[in-house]
Amino acid sequence: MGVLRNSVCLRQWFTRVGGLCLLLFVTDVPAAAGEASTENRSPRVLVLYPYDERIAATTVAGEAIRARLLDATGGKIDLFSEFLDLARFPEGDYIERMAQFLATKYSGRSPDVVIALGEQSAKFVVTHRATLGGDAKIIVAGFNKSTALKLNLPPDVIGAFTEFNIIKTAALARRLHPSARHLFVLGGSSEFDHWWLETAKADLAEFSKNYDTTYLEDLTIEEFVAKAAAFPPDSIALALTIFKDRSGRNFIPRDAIKQISGTASAPIFGPYSTYIDYGSVGGNVVTFEALGETVADLTLDALDGKPITHVQAPHFDVVDARQLKRWGLSEQNLPSGTFQMYRQPTFLEQYWLTALVVSTVITLQSVFIIILLFERRRRRTAEVESRHRLLEVIHLNQSATAGALSASIAHELNQPLGAIRSNAEAASIVLRSACPDLKLIEQILTDIQDDDQRAHDIISRMRDLLKKRAEIEWQEFDLSELTATAIKILKGEAVRRGIEVSSKRAGEALPVRADKIHVQQVILNIAINAMDAMTKAGKERKLTLETRLTKDAKAELSISDSGEGIPDGKFGTIFEPFYTTKAAGTGLGLSIARTIVETYGGRILASNGGDGGAVFRVILPLARGGTR
Amino acid sequence: MNPIIHIVDDDYSFRTAVGRLLSASGYGIALYGSGEEFLAGIREIASESCALLDLDMPGLNGLALQEQLMQQAPLLPVVFLSGHADVKAGVQAMKAGADDFLEKPFESCVLLEAIGRSLQRAVARREEFERNHAARTRLASLTRREVEVLQLLVRGILNKQIAHILGTSERTIKAYRHNLIGKMGARNIAEAVSIAERYGIIAASEEHS
Repeated sequence: MGVLRNSVCLRQWFTRVGGLCLLLFVTDVPAAAGEASTENRSPRVLVLYPYDERIAATTVAGEAIRARLLDATGGKIDLFSEFLDLARFPEGDYIERMAQFLATKYSGRSPDVVIALGEQSAKFVVTHRATLGGDAKIIVAGFNKSTALKLNLPPDVIGAFTEFNIIKTAALARRLHPSARHLFVLGGSSEFDHWWLETAKADLAEFSKNYDTTYLEDLTIEEFVAKAAAFPPDSIALALTIFKDRSGRNFIPRDAIKQISGTASAPIFGPYSTYIDYGSVGGNVVTFEALGETVADLTLDALDGKPITHVQAPHFDVVDARQLKRWGLSEQNLPSGTFQMYRQPTFLEQYWLTALVVSTVITLQSVFIIILLFERRRRRTAEVESRHRLLEVIHLNQSATAGALSASIAHELNQPLGAIRSNAEAASIVLRSACPDLKLIEQILTDIQDDDQRAHDIISRMRDLLKKRAEIEWQEFDLSELTATAIKILKGEAVRRGIEVSSKRAGEALPVRADKIHVQQVILNIAINAMDAMTKAGKERKLTLETRLTKDAKAELSISDSGEGIPDGKFGTIFEPFYTTKAAGTGLGLSIARTIVETYGGRILASNGGDGGAVFRVILPLARGGTR
Repeated sequence: MNPIIHIVDDDYSFRTAVGRLLSASGYGIALYGSGEEFLAGIREIASESCALLDLDMPGLNGLALQEQLMQQAPLLPVVFLSGHADVKAGVQAMKAGADDFLEKPFESCVLLEAIGRSLQRAVARREEFERNHAARTRLASLTRREVEVLQLLVRGILNKQIAHILGTSERTIKAYRHNLIGKMGARNIAEAVSIAERYGIIAASEEHS
């Protein structure tokens, strides 16, 4: 029972319970004289820790007990803690003095329940029960049933025992590594190690049948490391305890495990939570918190006067997420309810709120973008639609113009046709004569060709006039030249109406970028409008088209007539659609002209000239590059 | 001498072609680019000629030119040529005395026919004009007294009564009557009265009285 025994106990604490030793002693300290019963005061609970307060194993369990008790009683409980430090002070007289000290200390406040965490605390409280007082309920925790038997606990001492069943750990390993074909079980050379390995062999008898099983025992630590490094990849290894190796060296088992697992070529599982973070993938273990809570529940029942019996602290499957990753074991194979330690939370788990907000914002943004894109598309469609409408209207306008000019165009066309006919007939007469004048015949044929070309030109102008555009055809052209073409189209009509057409051309080129046919239509609309304005008999009829370069470098075409001019107050309305003063007019000519000019970034202005007639000015921007 | 055809058309090519056709067909031709040009040379126009006028010309158009021609050369036959069948213009031209109205382009036979017809008609018109001219000249040669006698004779008044009205002898009236029949180139008094009626001597003289 000396130092060695204590140190073994300490080891056992760490290894078996996973460092958590809960010893619960309910020692009935004899109630002091005159002490009131528990009815009138808060219940008292004393927790005995085997070590000092710095050993995490017991303190975590102790904290779990405190938390559960305070929570369950709403704080109406007196909790006392004593750190016995038995591992460092195992001497008999120290223990005696400690017992005396505690007896004295608690003589006035005898606890209702004494909780002893760990084997040493249990032994202490059982041994000194009489000294500490006889009435308290004693609850022990943090070791297994066989240890309890060895301690020879009195029947009224109730324990929360921790049992280590290697089978559950093995099952977890199988589940995580389903393709494994080899099983290795590691055990040390101490008495306990041997015992443990023998127990495991018996427990695994069934399980190991499916595997090529090797029990590794009585090896030096170096041999363990070497063997582990040579495990086939389809292996699982179960580490029991190695308190001592074959050469007699002592180990804290988890340190031995750490050494072995560092270079192991297959995952190592262990039934102790202390192995976690020391290279073990995990196992079916008892956690400190779970043990603490179990003890606390027992305590509460004891305080309530309910009968209590020995219980088993709950086991959990616990794994080290880093080891899962190291061995490529799938999280999905974990049984439900498995605790993963050191698990790097996934991005979503870690930043779920941020991620949610960001993704919401992005989604909303995307939705808005999609809506805007959709809107843009609709807008473009509408623009295209409206442009198509405009082109349709322009084409109708072209057709109307062609219709209005058809008589004069037909007349114009009949000139060359008539000439061709007369020439041909003259030629045939000449040829029939006695000595035909071949020189004349040749001249006639040349003239026929020229007239044919003339007819062709007229027809192509007419065709242009009727040309339908599906899309605007951008061209660069000289406004003066286009004006000359328009005059050719109009000349016949002007002659028919007795209107004298004159033109004045800008000295420089006026390159404009637009659809030629459209701008020509503008000229025709304005000119026909002007000709329509000159119907009064007797008055001189003059139509003048003049191109020039404006001071601000724009191309300008002015079309002036000798009609009555635009009446005052009508300047604003003449460009409105359907405004007309003519019986047969549609009122669309000028309106379309303005729409076309504005489409090409220009302006159209109306005023009255000096001699009373109207003057329309079409101003278009010069094409890039300007005048030559 | 062949009849001269005057072609007035602003279209050079057309008038040249028509000119060639007519020339080949045996006519003399004269080409003019405008009505004004034609009018400028109107004095020298030969008696046997015909004018082909384009209806639509800048400046003086066909109808306006015809109006001018009616005054300056009333006997010149006019055939209109038009690029388009304009009924209104056609009617107007015919009313104003045009001989024909052709639509361009035309077959040569149509043109030649129209020209031939108008030339023939022109001959008849000229003869009549000359006849009338001669009659008018004769009427103008009558003395005031002879005109007075003629006016009374036209009304069917007897010589004796005329002598009484004019305060002279029946014998003198008979002498006037004989003279005026002779001056008017009539064979008898009935013809002389008919001529007097046709040329309005009666109305004119009634205004005098």
